[in-house]
Amino acid sequence: MRPTFPRWKAYALALPTLLLPGLSHLCLGRRGRAAAFFLIVSATYAAGLHLSGALFPFDAPNWLYRLGAVGQSGLGLLYVGGRALGLGKLGPEAVTDVMFGYGSTFLVTAGLMNMLLMMDAFDIAVGRKE
Amino acid sequence: MLRDHFLSLLAYSVLVALFFAVLYHREPRAMVRSAAKTLGWMVLGSLLFAFLMFWTGP
Repeated sequence: MRPTFPRWKAYALALPTLLLPGLSHLCLGRRGRAAAFFLIVSATYAAGLHLSGALFPFDAPNWLYRLGAVGQSGLGLLYVGGRALGLGKLGPEAVTDVMFGYGSTFLVTAGLMNMLLMMDAFDIAVGRKE
Repeated sequence: MLRDHFLSLLAYSVLVALFFAVLYHREPRAMVRSAAKTLGWMVLGSLLFAFLMFWTGP
């Protein structure tokens, strides 16, 4: 069993995942898991963009899209960076694409996966999980 | 077209199954078993749902 960190440090250790998926696990010494999580979440994100998915803005006209934005914001830097680079733009041509629904689902899922990774890193840091 | 839908579903199921297998299991054997089980249920469930929509559709 590894030594547990104080609560404030555990919160701080959960945050690096927002910069890069799996980074918190790397900071906690879980190299293999960190690599696997990085590959899985990145692949889900890339597949979502490839399938014409949208990175929803928080001021989208549809409440379901706004809810999607909440899920996708779990991607952290990938969400902010992707939007800043103009990737996954929500427009009429994107919405009418047959694969839009699939792509957006991939992107929301990637965000939710990243949120779970943050919680997992926190649990490891406080000693709730090995 | 149908092939694209199925491939997307398959890719999605594979990624989700792998994610939860790595998240909840430590031993490689348990990981593989968990991933296979999740993948199987996701593909089967999705196909069943798709057929249900097809049969009950207009």
